[in-house]
Amino acid sequence: MNGDDLSIAAPPRGLWSQGWTRFRRSRFGMAGALIVLALYLVAIAAPLLTPYDPIAQGDVPRMRYVPPCREHPLGTDKFGRDVFARVVYGSRVSLTIGLLAAAITVLLGSVVGAAAGYFGGAADAILMRIVDALLSIPRLFLLLTCVALFSGSIWLIVVLLGATGWMATARLVRAQVLSLRNLDYVKAAEALGAGGRGVIWRHLIPNTLSVIIVAATLRVGGIILAEASLGFLGLGVPPPAPSWGQMVFEGREALMSAWWLSTFPGIAIAVTVIGFNLLGDALKDAFDPRQIA
Amino acid sequence: MRGFLARRLIQSLALLFIVLTITFFLLRLAPGDPMSRYYNPDFSPETVRSIKESLGLDNPLAEQYFRWIASFARGDFGVSLRYQRPVRDLLAEAIPNTLRLTVAALALHLVLGIFLGVLSAAKRNSPFDRVNTIAALFVYSIPSFWLALMLILVFSLKLGILPSSHMQSLDTEGFSALSLALDRARHLALPAFVLGVASAASTARYMRGSMLDALREDYIRTARAKGLPESRVFLKHAFKNAALPVVTIVGLSLPFLFGGAVVVETIFSWPGMGRLAVDAIYARDYPTVLAINFVVAAIVILGNLLTDVAYGLLDPRIVFAGGKKG
Repeated sequence: MNGDDLSIAAPPRGLWSQGWTRFRRSRFGMAGALIVLALYLVAIAAPLLTPYDPIAQGDVPRMRYVPPCREHPLGTDKFGRDVFARVVYGSRVSLTIGLLAAAITVLLGSVVGAAAGYFGGAADAILMRIVDALLSIPRLFLLLTCVALFSGSIWLIVVLLGATGWMATARLVRAQVLSLRNLDYVKAAEALGAGGRGVIWRHLIPNTLSVIIVAATLRVGGIILAEASLGFLGLGVPPPAPSWGQMVFEGREALMSAWWLSTFPGIAIAVTVIGFNLLGDALKDAFDPRQIA
Repeated sequence: MRGFLARRLIQSLALLFIVLTITFFLLRLAPGDPMSRYYNPDFSPETVRSIKESLGLDNPLAEQYFRWIASFARGDFGVSLRYQRPVRDLLAEAIPNTLRLTVAALALHLVLGIFLGVLSAAKRNSPFDRVNTIAALFVYSIPSFWLALMLILVFSLKLGILPSSHMQSLDTEGFSALSLALDRARHLALPAFVLGVASAASTARYMRGSMLDALREDYIRTARAKGLPESRVFLKHAFKNAALPVVTIVGLSLPFLFGGAVVVETIFSWPGMGRLAVDAIYARDYPTVLAINFVVAAIVILGNLLTDVAYGLLDPRIVFAGGKKG
């Protein structure tokens, strides 16, 4: 808001198109988008990238712990499986879990946040205290407890990662809804007799969408890290599915003699998380309502 | 001030109460008979009956709930199924070890984070600042367990400089006080670094932004107009004001520190709460798991309370009235 700049209003441009223009100017953001895009291509094209099976055991006595070489660029593991193939196929596990769990956090977070912000009063107080309480239990402890209580399959891991990660989104959406609900068009909708649910779904959530999408993107990196930590603790996706965290864990016992086992899946996790974080940060800067003059 | 303290204290207790309630229903939500989770094929019928009785599982749900709350409030967390010892004793051994690790990590986090952040702000847009930005992003995105393994590979296995597990050497007999302290410090080095460095990266970013904001304030212009040397303007006037918000970061970073301790303690065989939790989960030792959740949440809530109070004491602008800060 520049006091001198009271000239004729700029031609109306949508929030999305302004944000997109800002996003394209961010080099870090474009780098993140490229990394994420490349990861999805790898996940889709996995069978074209490697001739090896990521799960079937190889010729164990001869093919186990082969160091990186021409046939096996990232070496082989204890069961004679090609590490490159497992890293490539592992992208499917990480990306699927990251995306689905992020979708769950967004859904839960939006519903709780919108309800708290819209209805206010006691509903708001109760919901937000539950959010505070859940946030005071460190995420990994909460996750471990849930994994211990409900023993696991990949879908369960997805649900648990989503169910333990929605609280920050709820706070964000609530704040956004609080600032929106006093605007004239919301009041007008209410005056015309629209009920609570109608106003939330028709007006509040669509106008909070940019905030929600940004939050979701930033969440994916954290979820992939959390899934990897679970895998590393031996409590993640059940083997023999190629999960990166689990691969780092399995490589731990042969750290000295076969360094490649833990090293490469770890790099894959780091690159993926960096990609989503770069993308999310740039989206946040581009679509932050405060940036819009 | 007293009213503020009382209100925050009540809020904290209410939070703890909600944590307990959530934990209780989490256990009941789990599929199947909650009792079946406590069974162990080796238990005699008497043991089963006594467990059932001690858990009050034959009583109505509401009564079970209130008994559970009452026993936790008394600090009675039941008996560990794995160790056949009171969970309270296990926690009493594990908590100091976790605190030693987390306090060291927190110290590293703050010193490194503030130092790098201030330096980045001082040399804004220089190559140093850019490298710092990128390094922070990398450190923040690297899985801590992987960083730990790589450091073990280099410093313990290849170079043999630092130990890779336990809190001190197995045989410390005949160590002088100094060499024992040194031995412990060497064991602390890698785990504390792994635990603290990711938070340090984000604090450095935060500190940089906070410094740059402070440097735009009017009082900085005044200080410069008075002809104060730039170093004094920077360190005395800008830094003092920019460092204040970092106090809140300490509170916010506590859940991350304790969550990170789960992984770090497991890798470095550090006998703290995180490792106790993981072992308890492998053994399906539910009383221990739930008690740890509660205790960790209690520590985090207490930490947040202390940070709020400290912030209020440090910042004279905060008025403790009507629940509004400003």
